[in-house]
Amino acid sequence: MENTKDDDNTNNNSTPNLTKLEGEEEKGNAQHEAEEDFHEEFQCCVCLELLYKPVVLACGHVSCFWCVFKAMNFWHESCCPVCRHSYNHFPSICQLLHFLLMKLYPVIYKRRERQVGEEEKKVGNFSPQLDHQLYGSNLSDGLDILKNPLCSPSCQQTMYPESHHSGEGKSSSCMNVLETTVDCGDDTTFRYATISETLENTGNAPVQEFSLLGNELEHKTPNQVSVDDLPCAECKRMLFQPVVLNCGHVLCESCVVVPEDGDLRCPVCQSVHSHGLPRVCLILEHFLEEQFPQLYAEKREAFLKQTNCSTKQTHQRPGRSLSLPKSVYTSCLLRNGPKVHVGVGCDFCGMYPIIGERYNCKDCVEKIGFDLCEACYKNPAKIPGRFNQQHKPEHRFEIAQPQSIWMDGEYSDSDTEENFVGVSSAPILSGDAPQDLGDDTNGDLDDISHAHNQEDDFDDLSSDLPF
Amino acid sequence: MIDFSRVQKELQECSRDMESSGIKVTPVSDNLVNLSGTIPGPIGTPYEGGIFKIDITLPDGYPFEPPKMHFVTKVWHPNVSSQSGAICLDILKDQWSPALTLKTALLSVQALLSAPEPDDPQDAVVAQQYLREYQTFVGTARYWTETFAKTSSLGVEEKVQKLVEMGFPEALVRSSLEAVGGDENLALEKLCSG
Repeated sequence: MENTKDDDNTNNNSTPNLTKLEGEEEKGNAQHEAEEDFHEEFQCCVCLELLYKPVVLACGHVSCFWCVFKAMNFWHESCCPVCRHSYNHFPSICQLLHFLLMKLYPVIYKRRERQVGEEEKKVGNFSPQLDHQLYGSNLSDGLDILKNPLCSPSCQQTMYPESHHSGEGKSSSCMNVLETTVDCGDDTTFRYATISETLENTGNAPVQEFSLLGNELEHKTPNQVSVDDLPCAECKRMLFQPVVLNCGHVLCESCVVVPEDGDLRCPVCQSVHSHGLPRVCLILEHFLEEQFPQLYAEKREAFLKQTNCSTKQTHQRPGRSLSLPKSVYTSCLLRNGPKVHVGVGCDFCGMYPIIGERYNCKDCVEKIGFDLCEACYKNPAKIPGRFNQQHKPEHRFEIAQPQSIWMDGEYSDSDTEENFVGVSSAPILSGDAPQDLGDDTNGDLDDISHAHNQEDDFDDLSSDLPF
Repeated sequence: MIDFSRVQKELQECSRDMESSGIKVTPVSDNLVNLSGTIPGPIGTPYEGGIFKIDITLPDGYPFEPPKMHFVTKVWHPNVSSQSGAICLDILKDQWSPALTLKTALLSVQALLSAPEPDDPQDAVVAQQYLREYQTFVGTARYWTETFAKTSSLGVEEKVQKLVEMGFPEALVRSSLEAVGGDENLALEKLCSG
């Protein structure tokens, strides 16, 4: 609630009447935030806040977009912060969960959006703007939500630049919500919820302006979630034992078909999920069970019956294999394996670090750069960059060589920094870091256990973590 | 950049269930970079009854880098340096995960006290003793607990008075006592050493 003070201060410039209104609104907001005690399961295990732009790992554990990214290992496969399940692709944001949280906790989610938006501006790297096209048919009302200023920081800034500063701005933005939402016709559950939320906060005056929708609004509680909010991307019915693929799409576990040979592909967007069948996302499953106990129990019964009939279908699923052996990462140090592009991720499939050939976009201007792995370069997807890069299909690529992580002067320092998907403001491969990497690898290879001088080793080690 | 809002949350969470866990974390300075934690010695071990103070420093990358911890209270334990208090524990090193917190890390340190790993020692002398003369080890560990980890029955004022009577200036006595966490033996040591 840091912004409360600012708002109050700026209000002094506006008319007294509005100031009062705004003050009340702020109070209401604060109250709401207190009331809106979010479910413990939706707490990010890394930042301990409400999940924001949640990313679901193959093990089913969830963290915020930036929390997952910062916790990833920049030169080796990464491990889930909770269960240490290893993975080597940075999954896309789970939009279903994103919009669900936005609906459940509009006030906190908005605060989180502001908070993360400020951080992103400071650092200069941005998380993806969530686009309905990405989501396909999974969430029909995604389109409407996008037009809502709640959705993205940049959208909010461009459309309603004054909304942070004055009461007038606030109410005008409310009006715009109304206009945009009235335009697009179908499923309206979410946006009513949002509007009613806004209404409660803004006091009586603007409510009259909304009288058009008044009746419907009264019947919607802000936090109501319907079965329609939790559809399987494949069967379109309510999710049962939900699994989240690398692309962020959510399906029933039984709807995922793993081909006997070849990679599992998302039935919606056709993108590869190379980690075998992901585990059920328990956070989502518990939520479903709690929210729709009867329906979920029925589904479970039906499922059990079905599996009994079609003998042990589930047991024939392939194991949760890793797409890459660990030796790939160490082999790059010995220079006898495929190239490993330390600290560079593929902007389509999320492979991090990129293994094999790396294609770097020459025309993307974003600090974070735009890179593709070989497979994605050959089969470009229509996905925008993972860090909101404005990459265009006509952009040119060049093959980039991996950074040597030995200090042998093969690659210049400035080059190194540029190529790192550097989120941290600190230079990543400066000073003695490469040497440390070497030490670490030795430890890995020879399995040297803790020595007495570990205290010292450790100091060095921590300095080479990039984020 | 340390995620201070997370540190704040951790501190709140920690103080909420201090009663049940017995683990306490308090900021030493205003900037939340230096903290101080205390853990009770696990029951059924030579450390039982002691209160062990641990100095915590948060690195810049916290929570993506592990917090730096070492014992301030002297401990006789194979995985803790009897000299510097350095702790040999994997989760404080390469096995750190950002999902761990100061509280869970301190709980792990407490668990380490109940389950020493003499094969992966920090203090070779202690580890040798643990492996070869276990009874002596237990005796020493208990003696160290009694000597360094137990707040004596005397109140602060009584300790101050006792030390002042020995001829040290009161202000210095108070600051020394504070610096060592109220342990009169350590305070005396500190005062004598200068």
